[in-house]
This record gives sequence, structure tokens and C-alpha cells, in this order.
Amino acid sequence: MSINFEVGDVLPPLKHTATAMQLFRYSAVTWNPHRIHFDESYARDEGHAGLALHSHLRAALAMRCVTEGLGNDWQVAKFAYRLRRPVYAPADLAYTARVTTAEGDSLTLELIEETASADLGFEGTVWVNKTAGATP
Amino acid sequence: MSFMPDPGTPLATYYAETQPMVGAVLSLRNVGVLDAVTIGRYAMTIGATDPIHHDAAAARSAGYADVVAPPNLLAAIVEWGVGTPETGLQPDGTPNDGETPLGDPDLGLRVMGAGEEMELVNPVVAGTELMIESTLAAVTPKQTRTGPCVFVTTLNTFMSADGTVLNRNRRTVVLRNPLQES
Repeated sequence: MSINFEVGDVLPPLKHTATAMQLFRYSAVTWNPHRIHFDESYARDEGHAGLALHSHLRAALAMRCVTEGLGNDWQVAKFAYRLRRPVYAPADLAYTARVTTAEGDSLTLELIEETASADLGFEGTVWVNKTAGATP
Repeated sequence: MSFMPDPGTPLATYYAETQPMVGAVLSLRNVGVLDAVTIGRYAMTIGATDPIHHDAAAARSAGYADVVAPPNLLAAIVEWGVGTPETGLQPDGTPNDGETPLGDPDLGLRVMGAGEEMELVNPVVAGTELMIESTLAAVTPKQTRTGPCVFVTTLNTFMSADGTVLNRNRRTVVLRNPLQES
């Protein structure tokens, strides 16, 4: 039986430490040669405070908060996000999703990324639908 | 009046060259077959442990034809196939492959991801032959707290070879001139 969600529900936060090793492997698997993600001296020459996390890695972690928090009875239909600041490895990050609308078999959630100093890293909105096979 | 980069600056040159291309299809490419190893490695790297990403039997019992990609895998892949030879990369390592126009390397602009809107139309499973159509959607100069910049948005439509739309992604990057940052 699937869990029903209501406006105001908050999914379990996803807490994650992004390391230089993770950034390297993310660059490798996405075949991303951008040096700001794996070449720290270059990144600093470009004005960064260290190795910059990929925006897509941050989005992927944020999506995990939603998909793992809702379970397989729900599917992401749409996701929109805007970066508010760069984040540098190693980084302790927390992702939180809160249900803002719940209508029929669809939910909308507001999603935020917070850094260890509680700065807003990015914010986004996720639209999900109950899967066809989900129990009511 | 909306913000415009100072005349004669690299950002102004970039804007003048790129803005007239808004609406143009930049590329339509067949990028080959998405394999199960790429999906499994991507899932492992982001910490997604659901077996639907690496175990075909688990994926099938969940209703998928094969292992299924985490939601933003297609958006995240920068180069498909073998990619650009090192000698063809820009000084910051980025390939200028036509998906997002990055300007002449001599302009010295720096690029970073700024955001994305992803419409996940159909599941993305291993064995899918992929096509990508990229359209230049917007080129917008802005003054930010760290200096002037230009936001560039491309609409990337990912399709299977039979034309079925998988993802419709509006990807925005920000281009800056490091010499104009505060």
C-alpha cells in the first residue's frame, strides 16, 4: 500500500558529504572534461574556492531526496531548479523536500539544498505522479 | 531599460554574436546507444542504490524493459561517444560541441551551470538509441552581485531513434568575464 502525502509533509532530509573523489568519478561517468571539477589549482586560478560541485551532481542528490523519500509508487514528471551559489568539495549538504500541493495522484514539492553553514545552495520544484501500478 | 554589457567587452561581443541565433536549431545528433554500465555507474556515483538502476531483473519486475536511468542522467552527460580530443578542448577543459554556444575561446569567458527545467516524459532504459536536438532558447545579459554575465538557455530534446521523446530539458548556463568580476 502506498503512503499518501499531504500539503506540509516534509520528506526525510538527505544528508550527504560530497568529496573530491565523488566529483572525479562524476566527471568521468558523464565524460565531463571541465577542469573546475577535478583540477583544484586550475579552479582556484579561475577564482573558485576549490573544486566546484557539478550542478547536475547537486541536482541528482536533490532528486534522490525526493525519489527515496516518496518510494517507487511515485515518478518524477518534472523538475526545475536554480543555483544560488557555487559549492566546493568537500561539502556537507542537506536536501529537504516539502509537499506544497497534493491533488489526486499528483504532488508538487519545494526542494532546497543547504550547506553546512545553512546557506541556501539551490532551490527547486519537483512535480511527481503516482505510478500506474501503485496501490491506492 | 534592461541590462546590456559594456560595449567592446568580451561579454558584449558574445551577446552580439549569439543573440541573433535564438530560435535556431543548433544540432540534431544521433549519439548512440545508452548502455547498462553507464546507467549503473551513474547511479553508483550519485549514491542511488535502488536495484532498478543496476539489476535488469529488478528493473523488469518494476515494469521497465531494462535497467532505468536516474532522472537526470541524460541531462548530465557532457560528451557522448568518444568525445573531443584533448587538443580540441578549450583552456578550461570544456568542449565546444554545439550543444551550448560558448563563444570564441579568445574571448576568455568562463562558464558554469545555473539551472535547468527537466520534463521527464518517458523512462530512459538501457539499450535505447538516443537522438538529441538542441535549440538556442534564450540569451540574456544580467548584472549580478559578482559582476555582469550572460545567461544562455538551450532546449535539449532527448528522443529514442523512433522519435519518442524521453526528456525535454531547458538548460541554463552562465557566462562570465573573469576580468569584470567583483
